[in-house]
Amino acid sequence: MLITVYSEEEMISLGGLLARVLEKNDVVYLIGELGAGKTTLVRGIARGLGYTGRVTSPTFTLMNIYAADIKIFHFDFYRLQGNDLADLGLEEYLEKDGLSLIEWPQVADNLLPPEALLVNIELVEEDYERERLVTVSARGQRYQAKVEELRGIC
Amino acid sequence: MKDILILGIETSCDETAAAVVKNGREILSNIINSQINIHSQFGGVVPEVASRKHIENIAVVVDAAFREAGLTYSDIDAVAVTNRPGLIGALLVGLSFAKSFAYALQRPLLAVNHLEGHIYANCLDHSDIELPAICLVVSGGHTSLLYMSSIGEYELIGQTRDDAAGEAFDKVARFLGLGYPGGPAIQKAAEKGKSGKVVLPRVYLDRNDFEFSFSGLKTASMNEWNKLKRKGMADVNDLAAEFQAALVEVLVEKTIQAAAKHKVRSVLMAGGVAANQELRNLMKNRGQELGLAVYYPSLSLCTDNAAMIAGNAYISYIRGDFAPLNVNAYPGLLSL
Repeated sequence: MLITVYSEEEMISLGGLLARVLEKNDVVYLIGELGAGKTTLVRGIARGLGYTGRVTSPTFTLMNIYAADIKIFHFDFYRLQGNDLADLGLEEYLEKDGLSLIEWPQVADNLLPPEALLVNIELVEEDYERERLVTVSARGQRYQAKVEELRGIC
Repeated sequence: MKDILILGIETSCDETAAAVVKNGREILSNIINSQINIHSQFGGVVPEVASRKHIENIAVVVDAAFREAGLTYSDIDAVAVTNRPGLIGALLVGLSFAKSFAYALQRPLLAVNHLEGHIYANCLDHSDIELPAICLVVSGGHTSLLYMSSIGEYELIGQTRDDAAGEAFDKVARFLGLGYPGGPAIQKAAEKGKSGKVVLPRVYLDRNDFEFSFSGLKTASMNEWNKLKRKGMADVNDLAAEFQAALVEVLVEKTIQAAAKHKVRSVLMAGGVAANQELRNLMKNRGQELGLAVYYPSLSLCTDNAAMIAGNAYISYIRGDFAPLNVNAYPGLLSL
């Protein structure tokens, strides 16, 4: 499904809606270029799950953990491009006891679970001041149901 | 009084580092296993998150630190190690190594906060810093303002709400095709350009607090670059100069404000971005205008190293503030 987002506030609100269909052990892939709004969307999801603290870019730390109503693992694989990630220890976190929100998942594609909710954020005409086109799609049946659920509340 | 020799170990992120420091002042060795050449080809840091590289490096790096200092293991009085904040897997390699080393030698273990280490780097270069002070810690992963009442006593008064300053440097440099690491790449381009030809925002958020936000500046820079390219007017040097000026101005003004509010007479800078010449110059100039003493470490002590860890640990050593052998590693900034 396609959602057009016109401002940072709307991106936060969309995160709030996503939070309503997400649960423990879910995996969300966030795809979009630098500055598209991935971290902002994560902030919205975290707010929706009752977390009021700081949601910052995990580019450097690779992972932030937020103690929301359910535990959130916020990953960012941006700076791992071109590397062997087999030793990252991702299995310690994914689909264990928290919600995984993953920026730049394409970098670690072969190590990540095949089933996930896919959120693609696109700029319009490379203009950062314009709206964003957000496509939410599913990989796997479980997530297909979530897309339908989201369609119902959007 | 007997000289105190401390071995420092730092593995909180990408660098495996070890150093020996005498009496918290004199660096006898400072070894860093830098991977910067390999990083360049990818346009990003290759983190040794995996910890595998840290495991491969650590014994070699520690040995090199002893060799360069001309010491044997039993010469040291304590083992210091970074146990927060950082990548948990990476921290654990250094911590486990340090624990084993301390246990085998029957020497005390000292746990050091990485950010405090960065700030202490100033004390390795300067012995006359008047405290209290305001400290600006700026690197790839941190943008924090701290009130430092004495060495080891800090209060966090502000942080970034989104991207760290060094992260903004790296990402914008990459977007502009200037290469990696972003800080030096932008500084070099900026020297050939002129700020003010294009205009980027100075994001101060609330003027009354000490919070930072660099995500908007990053996006504005990329947007401006796209627009200039479309018009065929793209001058990468001018844009780099404006980006650097915008970022540095906010860092400096917030720091100066914090110094005024807390009525301190010293400002300390630390972390990789503190190596930026524009930041050093502007902070120094603004400090002079206002009668503030401005300090920053020598370039080699700005980036991650273990000398700052061994140095900072001396304070704990003197106080007898030793860490138990079951001390843990913590990824977050909490409880600085």
